[in-house]
Amino acid sequence: MRLYETGFLISPTLSEEEAEAIILQMAEVVSQKNGKMIKQEKWGKRRMAYPIKKAGDAYYVFFHYEGGPEIPQELGRRFRQMDTILRYLTLNKETQANVRKKKKAEKRSKVKEPAAEEETAESLSAKGQSPAPAEKKREEE
Amino acid sequence: MAREERMERSSYKKFFPPKKKFCRFCQRNIKFIDYKNVDILKKYVPDRGKISPRRVTGTCAFHQRKLAMAVKRARLMGMLPYVEN
Repeated sequence: MRLYETGFLISPTLSEEEAEAIILQMAEVVSQKNGKMIKQEKWGKRRMAYPIKKAGDAYYVFFHYEGGPEIPQELGRRFRQMDTILRYLTLNKETQANVRKKKKAEKRSKVKEPAAEEETAESLSAKGQSPAPAEKKREEE
Repeated sequence: MAREERMERSSYKKFFPPKKKFCRFCQRNIKFIDYKNVDILKKYVPDRGKISPRRVTGTCAFHQRKLAMAVKRARLMGMLPYVEN
């Protein structure tokens, strides 16, 4: 399971309802392939910085989802077939954010593991001690 | 002549030291720059449409790389211009 983010631009020649229909179709593709939709972002109609396929603006939609690599493949295949999709971009969020972190975390865990265990043990024992006297006091009262 | 010029420059620096630049992404502890927040990216892309260099903005090397990536993605998606209109 991986975290993906796919953004795509829908042509402004369509009405808002038609654009909604396309978004629903694409959301279905994700759910069909056992993907889990985490977040949908719709920016609505927005002016673009430069015309794409002779269109001045476009509907911006972003999907955040979790699933296997076949989902972005299938989405991309469908986007390419449709003339009404101007652009699309899929990013794998995990590789971007975590490659550096994972390496660092591995190094850290090797060094810090014993120390961390001690800390938790201490904190647990401290917690165990502190409530006990409080209870005793209550009983005395 | 040359010596005098140099003297002038140094004295100018003494009275008006250049403002210390710093990386605004390091300051806020940001690890990943998203191509979708165009408002932040626009600060690093002047009207001409070029990505401003590190020596101008003071961004650190790590974040400049991420920033360039994000700007290029935003350009692909039509949020930022490739060239000035």
